Amino acid sequence: MSIEPFNRLVKLAARAFYDDITTKGDNQPKSGRSDNRGIAVVILDALTRRQWVREEDLAKDLKLHTKQLRRTLRFFEEEKLITRDHRKEGAKGAKVYNSAVAATVDGLQNGKEGDDKIKMHTHSYCCLDYAQIYDVVRYRLHRMKKKLRDELDNKNTVQEYICPNCGKRYTALDALRLISPVDEYFHCESCNGELVAESDKLASQGTTDGDDNDRRRRREKLEDMLHRVEAQLKPLMDQLARVKDLPAPEFGSLQAWEVRANAVARGANGDNANDSKSGQGLGFGGTPMPFVGETKVEVAFSGLEEKGDIKSDVSVTPMKVLPPWMIKEGMNLTKEQRGEVKQESNMEGTSAAAGLSDDKKSIGFEDVKNIQVKVIAFCMVHYLFLPFSYSALSIFCPVLSCLSSPYADEYIKAYYEALFKRQKEQEEATKMLPETSTTDGVYNTSTGRQVGMKSKREEEDEGEDVEWEEAPPAGNTTTGNLKVDLNVQADASEDDNNEEDDIDWEEG
Amino acid sequence: MFFHIVLERNMQLHPRHFGRDLREKLVSKLMKDVEGTCSGRHGFIVAITGIESVGKGLIRDGTGFVTFPVKYQCVVFRPFKGEILEAVVTMVNKMGFFAEAGPVQIFVSNHLIPDDMEFQSGDVPNYTTSDGSVKIQKESEVRLKIIGTRVDATEIFCIGTIKDDFLGVISDPGTNA
Repeated sequence: MSIEPFNRLVKLAARAFYDDITTKGDNQPKSGRSDNRGIAVVILDALTRRQWVREEDLAKDLKLHTKQLRRTLRFFEEEKLITRDHRKEGAKGAKVYNSAVAATVDGLQNGKEGDDKIKMHTHSYCCLDYAQIYDVVRYRLHRMKKKLRDELDNKNTVQEYICPNCGKRYTALDALRLISPVDEYFHCESCNGELVAESDKLASQGTTDGDDNDRRRRREKLEDMLHRVEAQLKPLMDQLARVKDLPAPEFGSLQAWEVRANAVARGANGDNANDSKSGQGLGFGGTPMPFVGETKVEVAFSGLEEKGDIKSDVSVTPMKVLPPWMIKEGMNLTKEQRGEVKQESNMEGTSAAAGLSDDKKSIGFEDVKNIQVKVIAFCMVHYLFLPFSYSALSIFCPVLSCLSSPYADEYIKAYYEALFKRQKEQEEATKMLPETSTTDGVYNTSTGRQVGMKSKREEEDEGEDVEWEEAPPAGNTTTGNLKVDLNVQADASEDDNNEEDDIDWEEG
Repeated sequence: MFFHIVLERNMQLHPRHFGRDLREKLVSKLMKDVEGTCSGRHGFIVAITGIESVGKGLIRDGTGFVTFPVKYQCVVFRPFKGEILEAVVTMVNKMGFFAEAGPVQIFVSNHLIPDDMEFQSGDVPNYTTSDGSVKIQKESEVRLKIIGTRVDATEIFCIGTIKDDFLGVISDPGTNA
């Protein structure tokens, strides 16, 4: 909703019609000092830069006396250019208004210094009524032109006569009573003065007693005036035409406007807050967990190396049909990257922690690896027997729940959730890719390994509780590693599990 | 515009008319009373065309007059705004001219006379075009358009214009004479 064309319309109309409006009464002597012509234009211009404005504030801004402003505003109200609202309010209402103003009008100074001493006073507010202004100006132009045209061809106008002596007015409908028997003129009923035709007041004053060239002269004058009106008001008419199809800016009533403006302001503030928050939280993907923030540095370190892999992985995952627990990892990753859900992020934390603990182990304790390998092998066996069966899950889940990690519960929750999601995705994927059955074996192994890692983690946990808990949570790196791991394995199709795993852990 | 309508009127008849031709007397009196009058509501009553019904007479106490409610058909004429009429000019002066269309008086002010017609004062005041081909004077017949009516209870007065297409003089007494 563009307000600019309408403001231009208001400005043009102000200059065209309200340029010489003076708020002083006619009876007051017009000295040079009190001549306030043009003030109407100033006020209208000021109003185009505002929406609803308290009249005191407007007066302050314009350095006008409140009374003077109010008189002009009342005039505008009568002219249907502005809408006004008066209400009794204390400091609170003023505050609402001020906040609304602050929200809508930027760069505008508000007289806030006076707000302290406000105690239930009646305040007046005013606002331009653009839709009505459009109509008013159009109607005004129409009337002007119609009057001139009617005057010009004297069409359907009832001639009026006026008595120059007593000022009494007659219309042509009274003509029968006005004819005098003595001469050919009309005579006033009360003073018997000779009546003067009144309609040529527009064009020629005082020449009515002239003869018929008088009529011609009047006609020329009218034509001239009509032309001048057309020429001088052309910008205004053009603007009217331009504005014609635009929706007029609507501020609504004062209350509605305040509510709306404040709501908008609040919305904007909220957005800002969010922005700042996310700006701070970008490092840890918007997770609210305080301790994950520490891992930031590590993320940066190893994330760089594996970015490509991660990406490729992400792009690949939706294509493949993967067993739920494996794909859980993929989901995890993508969600981390998007920084979405708390549960996921928690999960990330756990897996990350697990990963890091693994890292530590791979670095620190060589013998742990052996255990891992054993566990993996064990799991492989399991998975050969129970491929793709969710009963496997039920086997592992109690084990997981036995974890001494404080995240265990959440981990399981997230695990189930991810599983559920993946199942759905899987169904869709199976529809899309019918050939997946051929690659089942590969995935089987990979899942086996995947789960093996997890089970290995369990093992570690069971064996080395202290390690697990103490491990500082690592960022995405380890999960990324896992992912990469999976991919590589999927490609490499059944290598030696032990070696593969070893390499992976050392990489991490 | 003319209308044929039914109106009702209470007629008071003097006892001297009571007799064999009471009805004729009643109708002739009705015509004498009503025709040519003007009511703001119906316009000018031009002519009575027939009697619908004559109600039961009611003898007034004291006077012996009898009141008959009479329903009668009549032609009325009521001018309307925008109506085109043919009228006879009755008076021409500097302010314009007056014309009559039957019972209706119409005033056409000089602003509503075409601009090429100018007022010529003199023995026979008239409005004449510059080439003298068209002249409006007393007894001229003009076609005019009513642009305003003033309807009182007993009077209708109109103002008209001849400043429009196909309006103006339709027969000039000057050329005929």
